[in-house]
Amino acid sequence: MNNLDFIRQSTGFQHAGNRSRSIWRLIHTDPPLLVGITLLCGFGLFVLYSASDGDPAVVRRQGLAMLVGLVVMFIVSQFSVHFFRSWAPSMYAAGLALLGLVLVIGVEENGARSWIDLPGLPSFQPSEIMKVTIPLLMAWYLASRPLPPRFKHLFWSVLMILLPAALIILQNDTGTAIMVAMSGVFVVLLAGIRWRIVIAGFVALLLASPAWYLFLAQEHQQNRILTFFNPYRDPTGAGYNIIQSQIAIGSGGVYGKGFREGAQSHLDFIPESNTDFILAVLAEEFGFLGVLFLICLYLFVLVRGCYIAYSARDMFSRLLAGSITLTFFFYVFVNMAMVSGLLPVIGLPLPLISRGGTAIVTLFIGFGLLMSVQTHGHSTTP
Amino acid sequence: MAGKWQLKDHEAEQQLFNRRLGLAGVIIFLLFAALVLKLINLQIYQHDYFSARSDGNRLHSQYVPPARGLIFDRNGNLLADNQPIFNLTVISEQVEDLDATLATLRALIGLTDDDIDQFNNRMQRNRVPFSSVPLRYVLSNEEKSKIAVNGHLLPGIAIEPQFVRSYPLGNLTAHSVGYVSEINRAELDSMSDASRENYGGTNHIGKTGIERTYEDFLHGTVGYEIVEKNNRGQVMRRLDRTDPIAGKNLTLHIDAQLQIAAEAALGDFRGAIVAIDTTTGGIIAMVSKPAFNPNLFVTGISSKDYSVLVTDEINTPLFDRTTNPYPPGSTIKPFLGLGGLHHGLVDYDFAIEDPGYFRLPGVSYRWGDYTLRTRNGGGHGHTNLLKAIYQSCDTFFYDLGNRMGIDTMHGFMSRFGFGQNFAVDIAYARTGVLPSRDWKRETRGEPWYPGDTVNSSIGQGYMWATPLQLATAASIIANKGKVMQPRMLKALDGKAFEPVIRDPIPDVMVRDPDYWRYMEEAMTMVVHRPFSDVFRDYGTAFEAIAMADRDMPYKMAGKSGSAQVVGISQDIKASTDIVVSDLNKDHGLFISFAPAQNPYIEPQIAVAVFVENGEHGSSVAGPIAKQVIDSYLLDILQLDFTAMEKAGDPDRLVSQGNE
Repeated sequence: MNNLDFIRQSTGFQHAGNRSRSIWRLIHTDPPLLVGITLLCGFGLFVLYSASDGDPAVVRRQGLAMLVGLVVMFIVSQFSVHFFRSWAPSMYAAGLALLGLVLVIGVEENGARSWIDLPGLPSFQPSEIMKVTIPLLMAWYLASRPLPPRFKHLFWSVLMILLPAALIILQNDTGTAIMVAMSGVFVVLLAGIRWRIVIAGFVALLLASPAWYLFLAQEHQQNRILTFFNPYRDPTGAGYNIIQSQIAIGSGGVYGKGFREGAQSHLDFIPESNTDFILAVLAEEFGFLGVLFLICLYLFVLVRGCYIAYSARDMFSRLLAGSITLTFFFYVFVNMAMVSGLLPVIGLPLPLISRGGTAIVTLFIGFGLLMSVQTHGHSTTP
Repeated sequence: MAGKWQLKDHEAEQQLFNRRLGLAGVIIFLLFAALVLKLINLQIYQHDYFSARSDGNRLHSQYVPPARGLIFDRNGNLLADNQPIFNLTVISEQVEDLDATLATLRALIGLTDDDIDQFNNRMQRNRVPFSSVPLRYVLSNEEKSKIAVNGHLLPGIAIEPQFVRSYPLGNLTAHSVGYVSEINRAELDSMSDASRENYGGTNHIGKTGIERTYEDFLHGTVGYEIVEKNNRGQVMRRLDRTDPIAGKNLTLHIDAQLQIAAEAALGDFRGAIVAIDTTTGGIIAMVSKPAFNPNLFVTGISSKDYSVLVTDEINTPLFDRTTNPYPPGSTIKPFLGLGGLHHGLVDYDFAIEDPGYFRLPGVSYRWGDYTLRTRNGGGHGHTNLLKAIYQSCDTFFYDLGNRMGIDTMHGFMSRFGFGQNFAVDIAYARTGVLPSRDWKRETRGEPWYPGDTVNSSIGQGYMWATPLQLATAASIIANKGKVMQPRMLKALDGKAFEPVIRDPIPDVMVRDPDYWRYMEEAMTMVVHRPFSDVFRDYGTAFEAIAMADRDMPYKMAGKSGSAQVVGISQDIKASTDIVVSDLNKDHGLFISFAPAQNPYIEPQIAVAVFVENGEHGSSVAGPIAKQVIDSYLLDILQLDFTAMEKAGDPDRLVSQGNE
C-alpha cells in the first residue's frame, strides 16, 4: 500500500530463522502481551483467593471469566482492526441506542442503573460496550482527517465523546462515564491536539470544578472530595474506607504480613476487599515489594502496549492501540491512587485483580484489539 | 501529487503521534513514581504507626470475671450457688437502629419498659467499646428460639450464657446470707481504682448479709484475655489469657436443717429467731420472717415485685428482724439479777414482800407488776431472786434496778453486749439502746430521772435490744461468763476460719462463779418449775413447755419477755387487710439455752425468739424456742440423754435429782 510498510515487511521477512514468531503471528497472538496478561491474571487470582477468605467459588468464577476473556481476546485478534474500523460508526449508534434503552428499562445494581436484563440473554452493561466503541470510533474519525485535528473536527469529537458519557452519568455511574470519556480523550490527545487547546481545556476544567462541586455534585460526591482532604472528618462514615485501607497498606510494611495473614482484610475491616479495595489486601499481605511487583507487571503490559502503538502500521491502529493502552493505565493508576489516598474515592476496580466478570471480558476485548494491531498487516500484504 | 502530499503528511503525523506517545510514557512513569512514593510513605515511614492502628483495630483486652465463691452451711449444703442462665445482650456499636431493635424485641419476647430502663442504666456504666450489655436476664427456651430464628433482623443482639447467683433455700436465707444484685453507679464510684478494675467483668455485687460482708472473699480476682475481633465484634481468636482467680468458698456456721426447722417453728407469726452454738459462738440459725425471695434481686427485680415488697408495711419482708432492736422486756432480768448479785445488792437469801407494785420514795406513782396486770392483782408475796426470775416478778427488779442505779446497770449490762454489737462479722447489725445518763442527754437533751431506771429494770422504757443481742447474752450465761462472740463464717475454702478480732470482748467476771450456776437454776425453773399449792410459785413457761412435753429428755433454761408495741402508723390503722387489734398485741420474746443443769454436757445452743404481736413470751415464743432446741439437740446433734445418764456417774445423778 505504501512504501514504508512495504520496506518494513520485507525487512521483517529478511529476519530469517524466527519461525516461532511467525507461528504466533499466524494465530494472531502477541507473546509478550500474553505473558504479561497471564501473569497479572495469575497474581490476581492469588490475591483474590486471599481477599475472598479462601472462597473457591469466587476464585473459580473469576478464573472462568478470565478464560472466557482469553477466548474472546483470541477471537477478536483474528480479525484485522480495519474490520472493526468499518463497523465503528454502527457499533457507536447501537451503543447509544442501548444506553438510551437502559434509561428506560435498565436494572439498578449498587446504585447505578446500568444493566439491561432481557429475557433469554445474559444481563450486560451497555456502558461496557462503549468503553471499546469510543476508542474505535474516535480513531476511525480522526485517523482519516488531517492531523493535528482541525477545530471543527475537535468539536465533533468532543460531541461524540460527551454524548455517551452524559448518558452514562444519567445512569448514575460517574466512574464509568469518566473512563469512557477518557478513552476518547486519549485518542484526541494522541492525535496531536494543539497544546494551547489542551491547556485551555485543562484550565476550563479547573475553573469549572468549584461550580461542579457547589451546584452539580451529589452529596456523596462532595463527601468523597472532603474525605479525600481529611479522612478523619468522619472516621466511621465516609472516611472509614480510606482510613482502613491506609491502615492495611501501612501495616503491611516492606514484606507484608504474609499470604492470608492480613488482619485488616480477614477480620473484615477493609470494605470492598474483593473489588475496589483489593490493592489494600495485596499491600497488607505482600507489602511494598508485592505492590512493586504488581506495578512492574502493569508496566510490562503498558510498555508492550506502547510498543504496539508505536510500531503500528497506520494512524487508525496507532490511535486505537495508544488509546487502549493509556486507558488501561488510567484504570490502574486511578484505582491504586484512590486506594492509597492519592485521589478521592472513585468506584473503579483494579484491572485483572479485582473481582468482576464483565469488566474483565471488556479488558480482554481491548487486549484482543492490541494483538490484532500487532499481528495483522505486518506479515501479510493486505 | 496527492499521494506525495499524503505521504509527507503521514510522516509528520506519525512523528507527532510518536512525540505524544513518548510524552504519555513519561507521564505514566512520573505517575507511577508518585504512587511508589506514596506507598513508601505509607508502608515504610508510617509503618509503625499503621501497625499499631491495625492492632488497635483487631486486638481487644477483655475481662474474664472470676467465679463467685460458693456459700455452704456447716454440713456442706449449698446456700448460694452459681447457676447458668442465658441472657439477651446488646453490643450497641453493632446495632443499626436501637429503637427499632427494641421495638422488635418488645413484640418478640415481650420486653418491658422496666427491662429497657434497667438496660439504659447499665449502658450508663463504664463500658469497654464493643462489649455486650445485658438487656434481659434469664431467657426461657421459647424466647431463645424466637431470638435465634429472628437473629438476622437483630444485628448486635446476642444470647450469652452467664453464671449467676442462685439461693436454693430462697426466702429462708434472704436476710442471713443476703443476696447479690447488679452493681450500681454509686457503688462503682465509691470503689478505689484498683477494685473498680477488679470488677471490670463483674455485673453483680453482694448487697446484704454474708454476700455483702464477705464480698472481698467471694468475688475473687478478675482475669484478662486478649482477643482478636473482626469488624463485627466477633471474637475470632484468643491470643493471651490471664485466668481469673475464683472467689473463696465460704462455709457458714448456719445449719440449713436448723434454719428450716426454725422458720417452720415460727409458723404464721412474724418474727425472728437467732440460734447460737454456745461452744463456738457460731450462728447456727438466723431467721427473719416473713422474708422475700432473694433470687428475684439477682437478675434485676421488676419494679412491680419490688413495690410489693416495700409497700407491705405490716409484713415488711425486707426488714431484718434479727438485727433490729425491740424492747427486750423481762428477758433482761437474768442479767440484771446477776448484776445485783455481783454488786452485792442481793444475795441468795435476800427477798422482798411483793405488794404487786413498786413506788419510788416520795413519788405517788405506782409501777405495777406488768406480769400481773391482767390477773387478779395482788403481789407475789415473799420473793427472792430465784422466784423473781421464774415468776418474772417486776416489783423485785424495780426495787433492784432502783437500788443499782442506771450507771451500774449500764456498766454491767453492757458486758453482755447490750447497746453494742458483739458479732464478729455482722457489721450491719444494730446496737439497740442500753440507756445511760450520757445517752439520754445526747439524744433527748434531758437529764436521767430515777423513774427511767425503774422502767429500764424490766427492759422497757429506753431499753432496746435485737434478737441477735439477746441470743448472744443468753449464750454468755450458758457459758458461765465466757464470751464467744457470735459469728457467721466457719471456714474459708474448707479451712477453719479464725477471724482477726482487734478488740476481743472480755469474759464477764462475777464475784462468785456460783452466781452462774444459780442463774442457770433460776432460768431452768422458768421452764421446769411445776405448778404447786403455793400461790404463784411455778415457772412462767412451765405450762407451755415442760407441761406440754412431759417426756422432754433434757432441761432448758429460759426467760420469757413481752414488749409493748410502741406505736402503729396511721396508714396501717386505716388498712382493712388486717385486724388492727392484733397489731396492738405485745411482742413476745423468749431467750433460752440448753441442755441446762446437765452434769454430762455443757449447754450447746442459745436461742432468742422474737414473735411480733405474739402477746406472750412464755406461751408463744417459749414453745418456738423449744422446737428449735429440740431440732438441734435431738435431730441434728442426736444427743441421747438417757444413754448419757446411764453411762454417767450415779452419785452426780442423785445430787441433781432433788428437784
